[in-house]
Amino acid sequence: MYGSASTHDIPASATTGLENEDPILLAEFEARIARGEKIEPRDWMPALYRKQLIRMIEQHAHSEIIGSLPEGTWITRAPGFRRKMAQMAKVQDEVGHAQLLYSAAETLGKTREQMLSDLINGKSKYSNVFNYPAFTWADSNVISWLIDAGAIVNQMANAKGSYGPYCRALERICAEESFHLKYGHDAVVHLATGTPIQRRMIQEALNRWWPPIMTFFGPSDKMSVHTEILMRWKVKMASNDHCRQQFLDMYVPKIWELGLTVPDAKLRKNEDGVWEFTEPDWEDFKRVINGDGPCNAERLAVRRAAEENGAWVRRALLSPKAKYVKPLA
Amino acid sequence: MNTDALKDLLYRLADDQLILGHRNSEWNGLGPILEEDIAFSSMAQDKLGHSLQLYTLLHQLGEAEPDTVAFTRNAPQFHCAQLVELPIGEYDFSLIRHFLYDHAEILRFEALSHSSYEPLAQVARKLKGELKYHTLHANTWIKQLGSSTEEAIERLQNSLNYTLPYALGLFEKTAAEDDVISEGIFVGEDEIRARWQENITKLLSQTALNLPDLTTLTPVYGGRFGEHTEYLQPLLDEMAEVFRVDPTAEW
Amino acid sequence: MSLTSLDPRISRLGLPDSPLLPPDKPELDQFETYEVFHQKKEGTAYAYVGPVHAPSLEVAFLFGKEQYSRRFACTGLWVTPTSAVQVTAYGDDAGSVYDTLSGGQNEPTEAPLSESAEEQAAYAAGEEDYDIFHLKKRGKAHMHVGKVHASSHAMALQQAKAVFGDQRPVVNVWVIRSADILRSDEEDRDIWSTTPEKKYRDALAYKVQDKIERFKAENPENAPQA
Repeated sequence: MYGSASTHDIPASATTGLENEDPILLAEFEARIARGEKIEPRDWMPALYRKQLIRMIEQHAHSEIIGSLPEGTWITRAPGFRRKMAQMAKVQDEVGHAQLLYSAAETLGKTREQMLSDLINGKSKYSNVFNYPAFTWADSNVISWLIDAGAIVNQMANAKGSYGPYCRALERICAEESFHLKYGHDAVVHLATGTPIQRRMIQEALNRWWPPIMTFFGPSDKMSVHTEILMRWKVKMASNDHCRQQFLDMYVPKIWELGLTVPDAKLRKNEDGVWEFTEPDWEDFKRVINGDGPCNAERLAVRRAAEENGAWVRRALLSPKAKYVKPLA
Repeated sequence: MNTDALKDLLYRLADDQLILGHRNSEWNGLGPILEEDIAFSSMAQDKLGHSLQLYTLLHQLGEAEPDTVAFTRNAPQFHCAQLVELPIGEYDFSLIRHFLYDHAEILRFEALSHSSYEPLAQVARKLKGELKYHTLHANTWIKQLGSSTEEAIERLQNSLNYTLPYALGLFEKTAAEDDVISEGIFVGEDEIRARWQENITKLLSQTALNLPDLTTLTPVYGGRFGEHTEYLQPLLDEMAEVFRVDPTAEW
Repeated sequence: MSLTSLDPRISRLGLPDSPLLPPDKPELDQFETYEVFHQKKEGTAYAYVGPVHAPSLEVAFLFGKEQYSRRFACTGLWVTPTSAVQVTAYGDDAGSVYDTLSGGQNEPTEAPLSESAEEQAAYAAGEEDYDIFHLKKRGKAHMHVGKVHASSHAMALQQAKAVFGDQRPVVNVWVIRSADILRSDEEDRDIWSTTPEKKYRDALAYKVQDKIERFKAENPENAPQA
């Protein structure tokens, strides 16, 4: 479950480093992408391509493993067999997606342990929405439906990107996420069409989650030299605004048809088919992404505990002869 | 057929699977290795699924709906062994519990696949492959960790010593014992325990772990009669928390 | 004080309320990787599904089974150490990478990392089976095409060129000594027998349209606002 592409925080003044690349290899690389062929791990690639992909896939992976925690909050309390088992399967999938994505990033040369280390030391980012708490069962349902819906919009775009291992991982992830989306929708519909208490629960959860959802795709992209290159190289596949519009188009009608209200008085689709909405509070977004959100400390503390508590297992099993080789594809 | 004896057996089986499946789901997202996190969750889901199938058999015998039975009873009405209620602890305990429990579980369902109560035999036959994976998983882990570092061996040995009396509690007999045996519904606890002991002895002998003389241990009994540890009622309250938000609602 | 969470599982962990930053994870936590292949249904070719990290081949099998075959039908699983795979260069989507093989001693490929000098000597003494995998299109998965009989990875690749070299396109070839692959047993196929019954994790099991239509019919005042 991952939203905003990670390119917006590159300073526009940063150099692309392209002037140091071999022009012939660069031309071949760009021609391959232009032909619609994927790049595989052993191909030559510009340093900037490698660096941006590692960063993006790693953040995506972190978002999955941290993203398993808000819904995990309700794993022991999901009501009834069907929802209990589905909630377990969904949280499990998020961990599985993290595994797939870390593997894809590893093919580019950064080890999984280094990525996990950077995560628990607060050196790398993950999707900001997971710094918000799931107060009630209904919050968990809103996450299952709408956060996953947002993630799918983003992932479907990225699955058309240029890097082979990331595309293979996303293909599997998207197939699994179709269950998440349906399961989340089912759970939300169930509460929205249920008893007055259930309806109130789901409306309140939607009110809490709408502002974070609107920031899920990140701020409007600043067009920079970087953005242009990364789009040409099919690293960045769709603009943040485009993804947000697509999400609103697909899901606002589905929310409204349940008689639920979206807590934004300005939200409407204008005559040009473009959604208008209240600009999210990006200052608050920055504050939270930089560590000052309601759950940042807990999310990292839990990941650290999982790493520390499992350390003896890994110590015990690591063979001194074992020689790490990065995965092939 | 003695329906009361059959129901008693089904409740024991189903409650064990439900409570341990619930407990093991607590590891989801917190496991020691990403891949192990995934595998452990699958086995927890399987156990939940097994309990659902068993509660469904009970429902066909006139008991309430599976959701009602699972989510609304209190501790004294549960027939699980105390082993399954204990908190997840550290991974060494959860692995040892998984090993000791799943070895009993596979023997139970193997025996039940020949049960004279055909609906139960059908359920048991269907689960065969899942249980095979569960014991393969447990055996592989115990063999590898049980022959690894001093630290790991000491942890596992301590957990084994602590857990064994509870594991022996799995074989506690109820008043239904003679009837389920004589009617060919189930082979009985003594037989399962003997085979279980043989299997875990064989496996542990391939590790640096010592299996204490089981005859010197006092099994922790009571679970089959509704006597439970202090951990079960809070577990059930937690499991039913959302259910209780609106008891009139369907969830 | 320990950390109190909305998640009762987390509260039970007894974490410190204000955690200290941990040191970097030691390098030694990094397990080896293994590559996993699955067979979707009886009689079809094994396809590459992805890697797992594991301390041994046996554990890699346990992990691969749940990570790659829990959600969709499967009839068999193969697992091999990443270091046991010999990889050729990558070609273009249109051609065949076999065409770029010199056919002589100077292969543009590396021997797999796991192959020691002693092992090479041992293989040379006798021929054995090698499994061959092709990548037909960049971004897709390697597929098993068959086995060849040879005395080294390099020889196996030459054999593969002779046997499978007329196939088009072939972007990349993997060569794995058959003995390096752990394969699920025929008799253990039942570990997947209940996968299709696990409907609770299947998108098709969640059908809400009837419920929505009923709700809309009963609550006409909720007609879409836009």
